[in-house]
Amino acid sequence: MSIFKEHKTIADRSAADRSRHKRKIEKAIREGVTDIIADESIIGQEGKKRIKIPVKGIKEWQFIFGQNESNKQVGSAPGSPIHKGQVVKKGQQQQQGQGNNPGNDKGEEHYEVEITLEELAEYLFDSLKLPDLDRKKFKIAVQEKPKQHGTRPYGIRPRLDKKESAIQRLKRKSAAKRTEQIELDPETGEEVFPFHDNDLRYHFIKEKPKEATNAVIFFMMDVSGSMTTNVKFIARSFYFLLYQFIRHKYEKVEIVFIAHTTEADEVDEERFFKRAAAGGTHISSAPFLALDLINDRYHPNSWNIYAFHCTDGDNWEEDNDKAIAAFIELRDVCQMLSYNEIVLASERPNWDSSENSKLWSRLKSIEGKNMKMNILKSKDDIWPAFRHLFGVENV
Amino acid sequence: MSDWSFDDLTKWDEKICEIAKSRGLDWYEIAYESCDYFEMIGNMAYHGMPSHFPHWSYGKSFERTHSMYNAGLEGLPYELIINSNPSIAYLMLENPLYLQILIMAHCVGHSDFFKNNRCFKDTDAEHVTRKFRSARKRIQNYIENPHIGIENVENIVDACHSVQYQIDRRGRFRLEEKDLKKSLIDKINSDKNKVYKKIDLNKKPLEPEYDILLFILENSSKLEDWERDIIEIVRSESCYFMPQIRTKIMNEGWASFWHYKILNELELPDSLHIPFLKTHNQVLRPWGGRINPYHLGFEIFKKIEEKFGIEECFTAREVFSDESFIMQYLTEEHARELNLFTYSPKGRKNPDWSIDDVVDEEGWPEVRQALISSIGSNSIPVIYVNELKDRTLILQHEHDGRDLELDYADNCVKNISKLWKDKVKLFTVLENDIFEF
Repeated sequence: MSIFKEHKTIADRSAADRSRHKRKIEKAIREGVTDIIADESIIGQEGKKRIKIPVKGIKEWQFIFGQNESNKQVGSAPGSPIHKGQVVKKGQQQQQGQGNNPGNDKGEEHYEVEITLEELAEYLFDSLKLPDLDRKKFKIAVQEKPKQHGTRPYGIRPRLDKKESAIQRLKRKSAAKRTEQIELDPETGEEVFPFHDNDLRYHFIKEKPKEATNAVIFFMMDVSGSMTTNVKFIARSFYFLLYQFIRHKYEKVEIVFIAHTTEADEVDEERFFKRAAAGGTHISSAPFLALDLINDRYHPNSWNIYAFHCTDGDNWEEDNDKAIAAFIELRDVCQMLSYNEIVLASERPNWDSSENSKLWSRLKSIEGKNMKMNILKSKDDIWPAFRHLFGVENV
Repeated sequence: MSDWSFDDLTKWDEKICEIAKSRGLDWYEIAYESCDYFEMIGNMAYHGMPSHFPHWSYGKSFERTHSMYNAGLEGLPYELIINSNPSIAYLMLENPLYLQILIMAHCVGHSDFFKNNRCFKDTDAEHVTRKFRSARKRIQNYIENPHIGIENVENIVDACHSVQYQIDRRGRFRLEEKDLKKSLIDKINSDKNKVYKKIDLNKKPLEPEYDILLFILENSSKLEDWERDIIEIVRSESCYFMPQIRTKIMNEGWASFWHYKILNELELPDSLHIPFLKTHNQVLRPWGGRINPYHLGFEIFKKIEEKFGIEECFTAREVFSDESFIMQYLTEEHARELNLFTYSPKGRKNPDWSIDDVVDEEGWPEVRQALISSIGSNSIPVIYVNELKDRTLILQHEHDGRDLELDYADNCVKNISKLWKDKVKLFTVLENDIFEF
């Protein structure tokens, strides 16, 4: 005779482990951002659009044998005709990915996470901050105060909501009592039930942007003959991130696209990214055009201005002095001006051993709080560069 | 929804137990718990243990089963029973009556196997659930301890899991170091042919140590108490589960062998008997590209009974593990009937998997060797501690022709050094060359 126990509903026992697994996946999403943002299909999409992101499974590392000829598998197929050399499983051709993208590992687990661009932006930008607005005295005066918006389970110590945290602990305690998981102190015999990290609640403070706070972003890109498709691809991914980020932080963003060779033009998005490359390079033309537009349409007193420039650094020498002057002038009206040089290791002529362009070394002298510079050597550098621009901590 | 009540289950259980007893089965009392499918997946994630410490990997395991269930890729396993006394087994509320009867008979077979197979003699079925509960409590305390916290605990568990099966698989008797030394000294002293001259008595360990976690526990001076405790917990869980890994084919074969016998003796009405046969055939069908342990084990036990009688079956279930069971009983003729074959991918140029050997005069030894290498714990690479030198832990992979997956090995070595907190090296062979991590 066996024992039978009737069904009794117990707490969903794996809930906590599932949520930690989920957090690991979220972290993987964040870390895999360079792969995600480089996907052309999401560039230029609307915020509500749902995108599928392949996320590599969180691995549990163990010693395993590789799948190769030395590791023979055994099968059993009674009744079927089989013979030596018969193909039983079609192998996947090694994907010839672009350059540094080797074929997929065998047996790799993939999750498909479906999120909106807005959620993606949240994953990406939660820890990042826009450069502060301290020069905009006029606007700070009217800006609304940060408002408390309920609580959330993470935050900084000073914002700890003691009352809510105590309530959470009590809730957990009474749940634990039901499942008899409370422990007694061996010495005093009293119940021991310490605070758990998950109990803690923090005030959530939302910095509501003032409606009148407008931002304009100047995307300036070198489209001269030396900018190859790969370089432009990185520029494009970088701009996409910027666009999403600033839109995440501001309700209203205007974007101005400036493409330049020896002369700069204001263009629309499509032409900005797809414009055929030709001609020489006068980098100064872009910041000068930006300055003209600022004078016309975006007065620094009522606009937060961001300007980003992407180039391969291959400027004509005669233009360097002008370019530096233009950048200094632009820097002084911008919240942030960023100069980004994209130098692909694979595309460098091997007689050119210098790390950066001449312009780079000269611009270095005017780098400062609102003038930042990046070098991008591959698409893996996009995110670090981005953090360099906006990261709270120094990267 | 279901077509049964607890009274039905009790009634059928009584009959099952009666038949099983009369046939000589000797099992732990079974405690059945009913649960719905969601709870079933939850229990499966923790290997059926009523209490188990938390770790994200169990959440992952849950998600995987759950999504497969929802996608209809995989029916839930029909039974889940643990090696304990009493044996705890789960009955899913959604299952129809015939399936519950089948599961109960199947569980009796498993429980008999747990109780009688030699590999299980040190698994301490009496206390195992209590041990797991106490481990859970201790780990919960570390998690809630503000000086430790969940991140640190999970990091250590992650690291332990990388070598969880690198334990002494056969549970051999270990000599204490000083006794081992003494026996070696005796050997050297009485050694006339100078075979043992080269033994270095100062080497540590004196003999290869296959239990990596134990070696770390015994030789590390840098571990905190809570870290030691976690390592010990993971290690003892592996020791508990290792016999099940080593006897998967026998265990499932034995349980299927008995559920089939018992259900045929129960004189079920057709309305139960026909769906039973259907499910039985479904569970025991060969899987083609992989060995179905239910199928292979069942077929071998059937053959043993035909050839040598039921007594031999009982002896086999007591003394063998999968490896010795196959060596002892799987004949070439039987393997031909089962149409066994080996196959592998053929390298980068031709990634297709094709058949290397089938069972014929020439191919049988190859197929047999590949089968033995792929079953039980043989599918897990053997890594041992070769030497401890200047604080560096030197590990050696016992290469048997199969190369390690590099990415995984590399990360495992990193994980081991988190436990050892000093340099760790691993030597293996890769495409016929010595390779060092």
